[in-house]
Amino acid sequence: MTDIKRRDVLRYSAAGTAIAASALVGAQALAAPEPAAGAPEATAGQQKIDPRDFDEIYKGKRIRGRYLLGGKNELLINGKALALTAIPTLFVPEDGRKPYVGIGLISAVNHYDPVEIELSIDGLKKLVRKIVDILGDLELSDEAAQAHVH
Amino acid sequence: MAVRRSIATMTSAEKTAFANAMRQLKTTSVNGRNYNWYIDQHITFFARTSDNISHAHQSPSFFPWHREYLRLLEFDLQTVSGNPNLFLPYWDWTGSVSPFTADFCGAITNGSVSSGNFSPNWGWSVYRSSIATSFLQRRLGQNASRPTATTVNNVQSYSVYDQSPWNSTVSNSYRNRNEIELHNRVHNYVGGHMGTREAPNDPVFWLHHCNIDRLWWLWQQSRGIDTYQPRTGFTGGVIDNTETMRPFAAGRTPSAVRDITALGYSYT
Repeated sequence: MTDIKRRDVLRYSAAGTAIAASALVGAQALAAPEPAAGAPEATAGQQKIDPRDFDEIYKGKRIRGRYLLGGKNELLINGKALALTAIPTLFVPEDGRKPYVGIGLISAVNHYDPVEIELSIDGLKKLVRKIVDILGDLELSDEAAQAHVH
Repeated sequence: MAVRRSIATMTSAEKTAFANAMRQLKTTSVNGRNYNWYIDQHITFFARTSDNISHAHQSPSFFPWHREYLRLLEFDLQTVSGNPNLFLPYWDWTGSVSPFTADFCGAITNGSVSSGNFSPNWGWSVYRSSIATSFLQRRLGQNASRPTATTVNNVQSYSVYDQSPWNSTVSNSYRNRNEIELHNRVHNYVGGHMGTREAPNDPVFWLHHCNIDRLWWLWQQSRGIDTYQPRTGFTGGVIDNTETMRPFAAGRTPSAVRDITALGYSYT
């Protein structure tokens, strides 16, 4: 839970925004929403739409991502949900860059391969594309929607 | 007394015997367990359970938990096959010998294992798959490369077993460096089901983990067999040296599994 709160602090506090912005080397996560295949629905009513949310087609599959408060980001692939868990973890880049600690998202499918989303403009999209590449012609099953804590 | 050998030394007959024992355990319960029991435990104990402890991963008990898990499977495979000499082989993924051959784990390495060993026709079913399929999935090399011998040597050189905060963030920790740089990476290198929560669906899971256990044993031989951390007390959220690891029987603690000779197997 501590980790999730840390994510929220990073995203939603003024200080956090400053940290994120400076780490983005000028690119502004909040300034450049990508055009979506279908407009993200304003349905949930829980909060306003995050400009990083997306709803588009990738390799023939409809991918939807929503950044939500409390670390409960949502990913859907052809309408099937993928439960996400945020973990603090050491990242050891294969290209020889120095290891560093960050928050990574894992799911049933990328269980040993946390994907960092906080300091990336399109982290959730990178994650969902990775999952689509693993699926190939297949779809997620209901098991993928089963959440768990770490 | 099982002598665990490299897949590189196995005869075709030994590989077939191993694959057949795995298939038998899929459909037969022995010692109160069948193959799918192992998949269930992996899914349950990957998560932080109701005791607020991370038993199997991202915690110090990563090594001893899997050591006990492998020992139980080896015992069940011996029971179901009636062969007391049956052993878990290890896959040294820094070498050139692959387990993905027609006479062993199946030769298909990109997508559905739709024919040969560990295909549905052969008698293998996937269980609790997060991918909607009845076929075992692999994506060899799509998402990661194999660790090299240099990487293994670097990891083996960490002298601290583990330390606070005992999770995935610890930098100076043999356990965490092995778990992330070797263990996770090979799961991701094989890909498909090996990258999922239900990874034991792929028989190569055991060959990979056997190598991880062997590396820990090599490390113990140079650093000390009785080197598990944390030692005693009540460290929050993790298994101490003398604390039972769930779901295993009472008394199955990290301390109880520290010496593989006492557990009745060896590596060659």
